[in-house]
Amino acid sequence: MQPGDEELVALARNGDHNAFEELVERHKQKAYRIAFDFARDREEAKDLSQEAFLRAYMHLGNFDGRSGFYTWFYRILVNVCLDYKRRAKRTAAEEFNEAVENQVEPSQVSQKPASPDQQVFAGQLSRKVSIALEALPPRQRTAFILKNNQGLSIKEIAAMMQTAEGTVKVHLHRAVTALRQSLAEFA
Amino acid sequence: MIRHDKSPAVACEQFEEDLVLYYYGELAVSERSTVTDHVQSCEPCRLYLKEMESILPLTVKPDEPPQAFWDDYSQEMRRKLTAAGAGESWWQSLISFLQPWAIPAYATAAVAVLAITLTIGKGFWSSKEVPQEDEAFMEILPAAENLDFFKTMEVLDAMDVLEEMGTPAKGSV
Repeated sequence: MQPGDEELVALARNGDHNAFEELVERHKQKAYRIAFDFARDREEAKDLSQEAFLRAYMHLGNFDGRSGFYTWFYRILVNVCLDYKRRAKRTAAEEFNEAVENQVEPSQVSQKPASPDQQVFAGQLSRKVSIALEALPPRQRTAFILKNNQGLSIKEIAAMMQTAEGTVKVHLHRAVTALRQSLAEFA
Repeated sequence: MIRHDKSPAVACEQFEEDLVLYYYGELAVSERSTVTDHVQSCEPCRLYLKEMESILPLTVKPDEPPQAFWDDYSQEMRRKLTAAGAGESWWQSLISFLQPWAIPAYATAAVAVLAITLTIGKGFWSSKEVPQEDEAFMEILPAAENLDFFKTMEVLDAMDVLEEMGTPAKGSV
């Protein structure tokens, strides 16, 4: 029988590097996908998720076992992603201006676009979605990504964000309202 | 599809939050059936739900990295962990040494060391105690010093007596 996450944490705390590497193997794909939802870039998602693993490794002593390793680690990961987003805010503002300048009027997009046009449209959509997500306050964005993209339950999200389930529901509702407003043209 | 009017649908205010939770399957069975019944009879709420179904999936950017990516990921992670382990500074080691759970153990060890030190130390000092003869000497030493004092006083008295003897009697001059 495979050891549980908490057993691996105990081994890693006693200096067993292989135990921590096993934890990385177990959680790397999920961690990467969450980071990708925040960064929307493969290399950045890799760096962010690895940074979260490193932080977890360096602070294993702080893991008190009250929540599962999964919850504790993904809390670190979300914080790493939000820190990254704060640092990248200026860049996002520049992208927004660029997107507004390059925006194609709806009348210019045909109902059945040719393949290159489709690519252009997909690029614009992706950029607009990025901007709309970027505009959300951090906690709304976190609740939305964890629910909409990762399919976590409200209960899991509340544990990860260290808040009440009711608060998560409010964040989620506000995020959806804002995104519907920003992306209404694509409905 | 891109709509020309950019205003989103407006749902009934009392159902709006529940519609979001309904979409994500986060409502209890009874609440879910209430919303289902309402949506069937309410056009704006039905439109609201439909908009969520068309907009929200667009926010997910698909990404399926190849196996080579995951292999690199693991190797890179291993290198970073090794570097992090090797680069752990002395103060981090100290912090990990002073974990809260370990403090009672360290305190017990410190008390034990202190007790042993005092026990051995007592034996050490008692082995260097002054021998009994010397002890007796040390006890009488202050008295001996007093004897000297008294001897000095006796000499002074004697000198007084001599002086008195050497002094001619009053009126004999």
